[in-house]
Amino acid sequence: MKYQKITGWQKRPELSGLSDLTTPPKELYFVGKWQKEIFKNCVAVVGSRRMTEYGRRVIEKIIPQLVSQGQTIISGFMYGVDQYAHQVCLESGGKTIAILGWGINLKLEGFDLKLAQKVIKAEGLLLSEWENQQPSCWTFPARNRLVAALSKKIIVIEAAEKSGSLITTRIAAKLKREIWSVPGPITSRLSVGTNNLIAFGKAKMYLGDFSSFQTRLIKKTDPLINLLENDVLTANEIARKLGQPVSQVGAQLSLLTLEGQLTEKEGKYYLKNVS
Amino acid sequence: MLVKICSIANIGLETVSVDVEVDVASIGFPGFTIVGLPSKAIEEARERVKTALINSGFIFPPRKITVNLAPADLPKDSSAYDLPMAIGVLAASGQLLTSSSDLKQMFFYGELSLDGTLRPTRGILLLGLFAQKKPHSTIFVPYPSANEATVVSGIKIMPVKNLAELVNHLKEKEIITPLNQVEIKEDIDSLVPDFDLSEIAGQEQAKRALIIAAAGGHNLLMWGTPGTGKTMLARALPGILPPLSSLEALEVTRIYSVAGLIRPGETIIRQRPFRAPHHGVSAAGMIGGGSHPLPGEVSLAHLGVLFLDEMPEFPRHILESLRQPMEDGQVEVVRVSGHIRYPASFSLIAATNPCPCGWLGHPRKECKCTPKEIARYRRRISGPILDRIDLWVSVAAVEVEKLALTNPKITHKITSKQAKTQVIKARAIQSKRFTNLSIYTNSQMRNKEVKKLCFLTPEAENLLKMAVEKYDFSARSYFRLIKVARTIADLEGHKKIMPFHMAEALQYKQTI
Repeated sequence: MKYQKITGWQKRPELSGLSDLTTPPKELYFVGKWQKEIFKNCVAVVGSRRMTEYGRRVIEKIIPQLVSQGQTIISGFMYGVDQYAHQVCLESGGKTIAILGWGINLKLEGFDLKLAQKVIKAEGLLLSEWENQQPSCWTFPARNRLVAALSKKIIVIEAAEKSGSLITTRIAAKLKREIWSVPGPITSRLSVGTNNLIAFGKAKMYLGDFSSFQTRLIKKTDPLINLLENDVLTANEIARKLGQPVSQVGAQLSLLTLEGQLTEKEGKYYLKNVS
Repeated sequence: MLVKICSIANIGLETVSVDVEVDVASIGFPGFTIVGLPSKAIEEARERVKTALINSGFIFPPRKITVNLAPADLPKDSSAYDLPMAIGVLAASGQLLTSSSDLKQMFFYGELSLDGTLRPTRGILLLGLFAQKKPHSTIFVPYPSANEATVVSGIKIMPVKNLAELVNHLKEKEIITPLNQVEIKEDIDSLVPDFDLSEIAGQEQAKRALIIAAAGGHNLLMWGTPGTGKTMLARALPGILPPLSSLEALEVTRIYSVAGLIRPGETIIRQRPFRAPHHGVSAAGMIGGGSHPLPGEVSLAHLGVLFLDEMPEFPRHILESLRQPMEDGQVEVVRVSGHIRYPASFSLIAATNPCPCGWLGHPRKECKCTPKEIARYRRRISGPILDRIDLWVSVAAVEVEKLALTNPKITHKITSKQAKTQVIKARAIQSKRFTNLSIYTNSQMRNKEVKKLCFLTPEAENLLKMAVEKYDFSARSYFRLIKVARTIADLEGHKKIMPFHMAEALQYKQTI
């Protein structure tokens, strides 16, 4: 992919956030079409590489809301929460900035490449402070400081007790950015970090937009939909709970999925968020 | 003096007649030579025959003995020529007086032990079937394996315990009682499957998929975390497949007879075979091989189930070698000694974990795999094989304690017997549909037949169109879906494919 160097980024008002850093980047490289408007309303969405089903659903719920508010989603382009945030942002027609934890000139492959192409096609940017740097254990925390500096708000989705996302929040706290954390089940290892942020008052609790709950209340008719209101279930479990043969339930699930009311992932069904 | 004894050689599932010619010369240095392309096992028969004769109280003549296995250009590999050679030596040295016309109708077959007893020998059923074609045949076979031949009518089967007993019989001193012929009964209810469907907790959808697979002859892939019952489900499949007809049973038994896998005392195999080769299996073990090719797992699973547990762990070339048998229902093994064709028409049931560590999607355990690892793991199964799998079903973890205590709402616990009745009914509808076509089940339909024989209601067609758009189905998956929907409709006894049949078929679409 063709990349360019930004000469004199310090003079660009849209990148003024980076000047807040104690160690600002020396150079900046990017791929895509430079538009300063996309830096105006930036929110960072960060989280674990080992995203669970819960994290996936959180992203599917909150990203479309953020996009509809005209926010640009910034994230770290790593698999897991980061990439899924980019992906959902693109799917809901938003713009996104991917800040790489490696040099901009490194070759991307497979899914990474596809996603990067989509980001650029949707007038987003790939950004890195290095040209040929190989990814290493120190490059990712370094990348995180750019993520924090460029955004006004940071939302953490799923982070373990020692997570890179917590580094981002620490930097963000120093830079006086707004920090939000999405609470998770207290039984999940991947929610310890996010829940701790809330518990110790380091972040505000992010609960998304409440209106989506109300919109669904109106069409509560199907017992199957009712069941999935609070739970993620497999076809077997639904059949057992409804006391119906699985063939019948399966047919119904297929229909509801086709209609777009349900989503299926790895054999489990859940309600699609109305946002 | 020269004596000719009748025996046979099995080349794959074919049987040819072999004459064991024994000559005990009156002049010349003492010696024992075997000619006629004998294998190592036959070369060594010299020692067995000699010792067995002496230990049975006969004289091993100190003369020049020559044995010829005719036809001379056919390589022979079997320990079954011990008995004909021993009888030949006795007759040629004048210790056993029988007329040559008598010997013409007798077949001798079996391996000797040093003390003169006969050991279990493979291929007895094939000998029986070969002898049946000649009038008034008598076969002399080892007592432990003699039962194998009892399903063959029109021959006399003599179970022989040891050499001395056989000689007494031939001298008409003490007659051996022939075995009675056994009818191949069509009783199906007496067969008890390894696993009954009702024994497996939960997994209603997987059970339903098994029934569809059995009814339409579809191949099935189950994926799920370890310990959720994938293997048990696969083992339950033979129990819901329609019973083997007597012809099919004979076909299966033949293969097992050649492979030497019939247990002593067993007559005919009535259960549909279930083969579960380990993923360390070699190509020769899977499709058949050896210098004198024996049937491989695919042939041993003929008319039954081939279960591949942990499918991505199988080496790619092994999975690729399944393509020919899956396509043609038979497999051709080519070796130096010629090429042999074995039947290999089986239902493939595959099981796989969702990811290398196995815990992806488990409610409590955490998966430690990266997306790249998962993608690589899933890519290991080759596309052409996946293309031949019609049904995909997730076998998710079941919480045992919950199942045991759940409410009496679980009324849909289906037993294997009920499932089998459904399957037999659906198969009957199919055989009616495919009269005059060379196919038997829905899964074997080609696109041409799908277009001609599968009627969709307009609503079902709409639904299919919607699904194609949503999931980006290829043309092949499109036809696959219709075939599965056709089987579901057959199970329900519908002539046309209704929308809910199509919707259910969508449940089993390719997910990985």
